[in-house]
Amino acid sequence: MNFNCPPHIRIATGLLGTLLCVASTMTLAAAALVLPPIVQPPSAEHHAGKIIWVDLVTPNLATAEKFYTGLFGWSFQDLHSGSRNFAVAMLEGRPVAGIFEGSAPSSAQRQSAWLTFIAGDVAAAKRITVAHGGKVLFEPHVYAQRGRQAVFADPQGAVFAVLASSSGDPPDLLPAPGEWIWSSLITTDPGTDAAFYQTLFGYDVFDAGGDDGAEHLILSTDEYARASVNAMPEAGSRHHPHWLNFVRVRDTVQMSARASALGGRVLVEPRADRHGGKVAVVADPAGAPFGLLEWVDTQSKEATP
Amino acid sequence: MRTFMRRLIASACGAASLVILYACVAGGGYGDGAEVSYGADFYEPFGYEYGGWGPNYRVGPPHGGERRPEHSGGAHPHPPAYHPAAPSRSVPSIPSRPRGH
Repeated sequence: MNFNCPPHIRIATGLLGTLLCVASTMTLAAAALVLPPIVQPPSAEHHAGKIIWVDLVTPNLATAEKFYTGLFGWSFQDLHSGSRNFAVAMLEGRPVAGIFEGSAPSSAQRQSAWLTFIAGDVAAAKRITVAHGGKVLFEPHVYAQRGRQAVFADPQGAVFAVLASSSGDPPDLLPAPGEWIWSSLITTDPGTDAAFYQTLFGYDVFDAGGDDGAEHLILSTDEYARASVNAMPEAGSRHHPHWLNFVRVRDTVQMSARASALGGRVLVEPRADRHGGKVAVVADPAGAPFGLLEWVDTQSKEATP
Repeated sequence: MRTFMRRLIASACGAASLVILYACVAGGGYGDGAEVSYGADFYEPFGYEYGGWGPNYRVGPPHGGERRPEHSGGAHPHPPAYHPAAPSRSVPSIPSRPRGH
């Protein structure tokens, strides 16, 4: 092979190679974010209506990691895509949440929040949500490893996501301390919202009305309780329907205090709940609210089919 | 030969520039193609209020197996918007099987 090219040809070829190299690198960096699978190793299980994942958007990833590591012992796999930073929170080698770094929009008063992902048919969810007066906030997209997902606002404005996981759904096991155990939809009209979610996911709806006279409903599939739907407390003037997710803890009082010590805030002091254990609501340093819930291993009882 | 090489290099440079331009436009979003900011879209409206939780305000999961209140399953003054589970069914609980069993 003859490599005796004139110098200007060699320079031009080198320049061309460099340009193509830069272009390829930028294109790869610009490719859609690669979201990891939610179940590792993959499973063949599917549980429509189950809350299977949560994502957080926060202004400072390092601050969030420090807080959640200190509180629950989560470790983090940091991932980068272009200029975007995000991390997968792990507990004992299992993925438990995703955390994205992103600035809050300056146009409106907004706060960091955990986004609730419910297992289901994304296309059907879009159709039903729109038909019932809800909104599509993020159109259905397929992410190779995670699956197909979209983000919606229900007819009363609560934001939620639907995910058809390509790695299957997590098995129906009792979550360990430090894992998500429960979710509540706090809304203005529980009955109407329960009907909406029942249409979406085929929930069985149980009336678990409390002593306060407020409407409290339980949503279930596969004979397991998946979430509650609660009337929004009347006190207070600033309300917005939302999903609230709970992490299982051994001691709600102790963990609330720890959340405060780590830079969070206690929004609802520890209190006895329906199951006898205590719950509390706290906010992380960026203001994202989540719940703490005690649960004893022997508490669950099989329901009468 | 020299003219051919110049044209070839010019064409390749043009193609590379287009790829770079595309990369700049498409980059960084939590979506594929358009510039979509995950954070901007999913910061929720500010103003959660938790101060109004009275002593009987209950959000947690049931034990399972409980009988439901008397007014369940059809004794509402108005039929609920949802289809209630049959009154004979007790309220289920969360999964009880621990990991590794």
